[in-house]
Amino acid sequence: MELMNELLEKYFRGETSLEEERALKKYFLKGTVAAEHEIYRTMFEVFKHESNETANAPLKKVIPEQRKIKRVWFQTFAYSAVAASLFLLVWIQFPHATDDFAVIDGKKIESPEYVQRYTEIKLSKVNNILARSMEPMKSFNHVRQNMETLQNVRDIRNKMNSLQSKLQIK
Amino acid sequence: MRHYKCMESTQFNTQILNHSDKLFRFAKSILRNVDAAQDAVQELILKLWEKKDQLDEVENLQAFTMRSMRNLCLDTIRQRRDEVEIPIEFEYIEPNPYHQVERKDLATRIRIMIDNLPELQRTIIRMRDVEEMEIAEIGYVMSLTENAVSVNLSRARQKIREQILNEQKRVEETIWN
Repeated sequence: MELMNELLEKYFRGETSLEEERALKKYFLKGTVAAEHEIYRTMFEVFKHESNETANAPLKKVIPEQRKIKRVWFQTFAYSAVAASLFLLVWIQFPHATDDFAVIDGKKIESPEYVQRYTEIKLSKVNNILARSMEPMKSFNHVRQNMETLQNVRDIRNKMNSLQSKLQIK
Repeated sequence: MRHYKCMESTQFNTQILNHSDKLFRFAKSILRNVDAAQDAVQELILKLWEKKDQLDEVENLQAFTMRSMRNLCLDTIRQRRDEVEIPIEFEYIEPNPYHQVERKDLATRIRIMIDNLPELQRTIIRMRDVEEMEIAEIGYVMSLTENAVSVNLSRARQKIREQILNEQKRVEETIWN
């Protein structure tokens, strides 16, 4: 009792710690209160009651709009990524059986030997065509050799002119 | 180089929205009006959301929020002084018999006693006795030294005690007479 009186006086002087004040609250709200202290019980009950008071308005709905938009974008991106990964996984795990074939003259050929032979023949034809196409180049070489002779004649003439001018032959 | 983190909405919910009831009680204590307190809390939360990028810089977010709440409430009082605020010098008026009938119980009367304290004292007494905040934290919210907080807390409690004792005396006199 003496201790509680001291604590109460300390409380009203504003000198109690939070721990001491909690002890006081416990005494007034849960324990048996001495008759001389009964007068203060209601005050502590008011404090307790006020600490449980809540806002009635929907305060927690202030922010969510922006959250939802952000979450929708995130979810869309996440789901797309997961779907794409699953598709790739399935595609890699089960390769297509009809991968090795060629189409020749509109027909689907699955025999590699046949395709190889066909390709060699076609390449040989290309080679012949190229060889025939190079034949005109032979004529070109002939013309070039003749042009070289002409070049020599011009050189000789130049030399003769030079010699004539040095010897002052008229 | 300083790196500014942006407070995410989840973090915002945890650190601010979850304390909205406390903010409401605090605003109600200053404004002494439920609707005005609700509006003030809504307004504060929106303002904080708009500035959420800067909130990571705040050391004690809860104390900062309470301080912002008080400033906003005081602005509201200044704007609507005639409608809401009871003059700062207002003192508790002893209830006449009519009021005694109207105010049914001691709990209601004690609430009125607290509400009729000057703004500084009623805010401090509620922060301490209702919200159980540390003196230093109250000092930060109210922009006061710890000593000034203790002095105002003591005055507030003494006034309430005095009025409770007067109330008790009057009840006893009524019974005996």
